[in-house]
Formats: sequence, structure tokens, C-alpha cells
Amino acid sequence: MEVSIAAESLFHIGGFPVTNTLIMTLIVSVLVMMAAFALQGRLQPVPRGLQNGAEALIEAIWGFTLDIMQDKKLAHAVFPLIATIFIFVLFSNWIGLLPGMGTVGLAHGEHSIIPFIRSGSADLNTTIALSFIVVFSVQFLGIATIGVAKYGRKFFVSPFHKPYLVGSFVGLLELLSEVTRMISFSFRLFGNVFAGEVLLIVMLHLVPYALPIPFLIIEVFVGFVQAAVFALLSLVFIKMATLEAEH
Amino acid sequence: MEILAKLGIDWKLFIAQIVNFAILFWILRRFAYRPMLAFLAERTERIDKGLSDADAAHKKLGEMEQKEREMLEQAKKEAQKILEKAERLGKQNYEKMLEQAKEDVDRLMKQSELKMESEKAKLLSDAKAQLAELVVLTTEKVLQEKIDAHKDSELIQKHLKSLG
Repeated sequence: MEVSIAAESLFHIGGFPVTNTLIMTLIVSVLVMMAAFALQGRLQPVPRGLQNGAEALIEAIWGFTLDIMQDKKLAHAVFPLIATIFIFVLFSNWIGLLPGMGTVGLAHGEHSIIPFIRSGSADLNTTIALSFIVVFSVQFLGIATIGVAKYGRKFFVSPFHKPYLVGSFVGLLELLSEVTRMISFSFRLFGNVFAGEVLLIVMLHLVPYALPIPFLIIEVFVGFVQAAVFALLSLVFIKMATLEAEH
Repeated sequence: MEILAKLGIDWKLFIAQIVNFAILFWILRRFAYRPMLAFLAERTERIDKGLSDADAAHKKLGEMEQKEREMLEQAKKEAQKILEKAERLGKQNYEKMLEQAKEDVDRLMKQSELKMESEKAKLLSDAKAQLAELVVLTTEKVLQEKIDAHKDSELIQKHLKSLG
């Protein structure tokens, strides 16, 4: 048994490593898109089947977005990003729990394999990409909402006014936190999901029957919680960015 | 750089994930969120409108029921009044007619009594006149043929017979 922090590449296309996590994220994306296309233009006044779930999901996310943004226009601007993050992360987390995870794959050496199924969130490339998008969107929406000057004043505080150098220092710390946020964001999601997968693989190898089931249930819950945390934190950071600095 | 490789961070994969997410974001926004949110908002509006309409209809129904009850009560009262009036009027008419009839009967009775009396008187006087004439006639005949006693009795018998 061998667990690698880095996602394992299954094959290469002209120097581009095609990893198991990349394939999983593509599968998730395609499935979600297919669901969207299946529903699009076929919405019934009385929801049935897939539409029920989609409506519940969209309405729940929309409710959260509106609650936190407290502004319908801003909520409409932010909603697609938050909803996509939540849906993408949620299904990325869950797809790693499918049977065959960590057990079915290409033979690699004598006692280890390269598994086909590995959650997209158990790859730092995915989580860093997501946090990069979030942090970038936070800056963009902050500037778009309150303007460059006011947004810049959050980080660059003049040392000649009331809190003097303390203010300037706090501003620089704020700027630094924008960068470190990217790291905390990506490592939180990666850590949770990756640890869950490792735990499940270990359990599977120790006792293949019955024992992994409670852990599997816990991981389903963790997958949901991590998706919600990622989406809600993004929402809160965007909200904070759209508020003017206090004086 | 060593640590990045150990963590599996590869800028090619990183960019691939960003592109992947961007495509997913764009497609979901275009084909899922926009139509869905519009649809949900529209349905919320429709349900709200339906509920308020139902409330209004319910209220109106209550009002109409109240009105109907009032009208029914009014109609009942009026009917009662009309009935009472008719009864009173009928009674009055009946008494009046009864009185009239009594009067008529009385009058007719009196009239017929009077008529009968006068008829009786007339008959009596007629009978008297005829009797007198008869007496005179009989007397005359008796006087003409007074021959003997036998003849006399015969005669009397004869006349009595003709009279009878």
C-alpha cells in the first residue's frame, strides 16, 4: 500500500500529465453539465425527479447568498460563482467515495497500483486553482463594487492619520492575509478530503467488510461540510470586500 | 520548487483545473442558474398571487354569505308581514261578508213574509167574496123551488153535491 500526496498520472499526452484527479474533475464537470442541459427548457411548474433536487439545491444556495450579501443585485452577481464552487466541490468530494477508490487501478510495481478513482479535491492543483479563482474574484468584485480608491485604502493606510503607523501596519497585514487566504483555503479542502481518502484506504486494507461503512458515512458528511465551508467562506470574503473600510 | 513537485503541484494541471472550472461556471450560469432562478422567481410570484387571490375569494365568499343570510332574514320578515296582513284582511272580509249575508237573508225573509201575508189576505178576501156569491146563489135556487119538504131536502142534497 502506497499513498502519494501528489495525484498519480495515468498517462501523458505530449508532455501533459493526465492524472486520475483530472479525469475525475472532468467526469464531475460533464455530469453536472449534462444535468443542467437535461433540465434546461424543461422546467415544470410542478417539479419532478431531477428537478426537485436541482431546485432544492439552487434555492438553498440562493437563500444563503441573499442572506449574506443582503443586496439582490450583488447576490445575482455572486451567485453563479458560489453555486458552481459548492456543486463542483461537493461532487468532487463525493466521487472519490465511489467503490473502487484506492483499490482499482493500473498496476504499479509489485504491491501498489495507480488508482483510477481519486477525488478532485484530493489534489492540490484543483484546490489551489479554486482558491485562486476565489481570491481573484474577491479582489475583482471588491473593486467593482466600491471602486479602486476605496478598495485600495483598505490595505494602504496613510501613516499620518489617527492610528498612524499601526493603521498602516494593519493594512499591510490585511494585504498579506489576502495571499495567505489562498493557502489556507486550498490546504483545508485538500487536507480534509485527502485524509478521508487515506483513512478509507487504510480501513479497507485492515478490515475489508463492515468496518469501513461508518467511515464512509462520515466521509459523505465531511464532503458536504467541506463544500459548504468553501462556498460560505468565499461568500463571506466577497461580502467583506464589498464593504467600505471603517474609519 | 522541490516541495511543489512533492506536493504534486504542476502548473499545467493547475491551469487545466482553472479552465475546467471556468467552462463549468460559464455553462452552468448560462444554462442552469439564469433560467432556474427566473423560473423559481416566477413560480414564487405565481404562488403568492394564487394565495392572495384565494384569500380575496375567501373573503368575498364570506361577505356574500353574510349578505345572503341578511337578505334571507329580510325576505322571511317581509313574508311574515305579508302573511299577517293577508290573514287580517281575510278575516275582515269574511266577517264583512258574513254580516252582509245575514243582512241579505234577513231582508229576503222579511220580504217573503210580507208577500205571503198579502197573498194570504188576498186569498181570504177572494174566498169570502165567492162564498157570499155562492150563498146568494144557493139561497136564490132554494127560494125558487120551495115546493115541498121532500123536494126541499132533495134540492139541498143536490146543491150540496154540486158544491162538493
